[in-house]
Amino acid sequence: MLQPILFALLGGTLVSVSRAINGRLSLATSAMSASFWNHLVGFLFLSAVALLWGGLMPGGWPDAPVTAWFGGTIGVLFVASGSWLVARIGATLTAMLVIAGQMVSGVALDLALGQSDGLLPKAAGVALILAGMVLARRSR
Amino acid sequence: MPNRLAYPLAFASGGLLTLMVLFNGQWAREGTPLFASWMAHGTGTVAALIFLLLLRAGRKPSARPGKAPLWAYLGGLSGAVTVMLTSTTVNSFLALSGTLALGLAGQAGFSLLSDRFGWFGLPARRIGATDLAALALILAGSLLVIFT
Repeated sequence: MLQPILFALLGGTLVSVSRAINGRLSLATSAMSASFWNHLVGFLFLSAVALLWGGLMPGGWPDAPVTAWFGGTIGVLFVASGSWLVARIGATLTAMLVIAGQMVSGVALDLALGQSDGLLPKAAGVALILAGMVLARRSR
Repeated sequence: MPNRLAYPLAFASGGLLTLMVLFNGQWAREGTPLFASWMAHGTGTVAALIFLLLLRAGRKPSARPGKAPLWAYLGGLSGAVTVMLTSTTVNSFLALSGTLALGLAGQAGFSLLSDRFGWFGLPARRIGATDLAALALILAGSLLVIFT
């Protein structure tokens, strides 16, 4: 009961940890360079995990639409922008605005894919998020 | 001045995250979460290298002040462990919505501490009441989106 809760909290914490570490690296190099090291180190680490524990491709190479190949490239842009942002506007504001963008675009994507369950509470959620963004803007 | 650009950029980068999760998840649907993350990091390394070459081509090498400490190169470990943690929690009673919600709490809590005390060699920042109110609104709205 407790373990998944701690893992999920730690997962979120590590998102912010990696953004801060990459932000520090970007100060000495560049945001894109920080993103490169982030991906290379992550790739080497995950390769080692796969070699030690297995489980990389239990059912052979998985079939996936061609868009799956672009997830990594989008991730590179995401990490680069996060590194740039955290060094300039701070961790809290970066996290807030990224979360806001993720939620609002997630709702938009659901709509685009024709999933409109619970539209009213989701619209209310988006309204709260936008209000929070306006407030965040005021405080600067 | 960079703040003007930073707000829309941060919001847009949240949109990138949605797309990234969607596309990486396409590997995980038939493969494993480990495979999805491994592919994303592998193709990402190649993509970042290409971006770096393209950026360098148009710019003369600039002298940047200071050297980064060795730990600053290890941000990728943190991201890789995140994937391993969350791929177990989405299959627990928490499911995706609980994982996302607690993840937001972890991000918010850690970011506040990190800003307040200037962790990781980044400038310390004052957190005001307005910041906290904005954070509360965004988190409340996010919970509504996640759980409905």
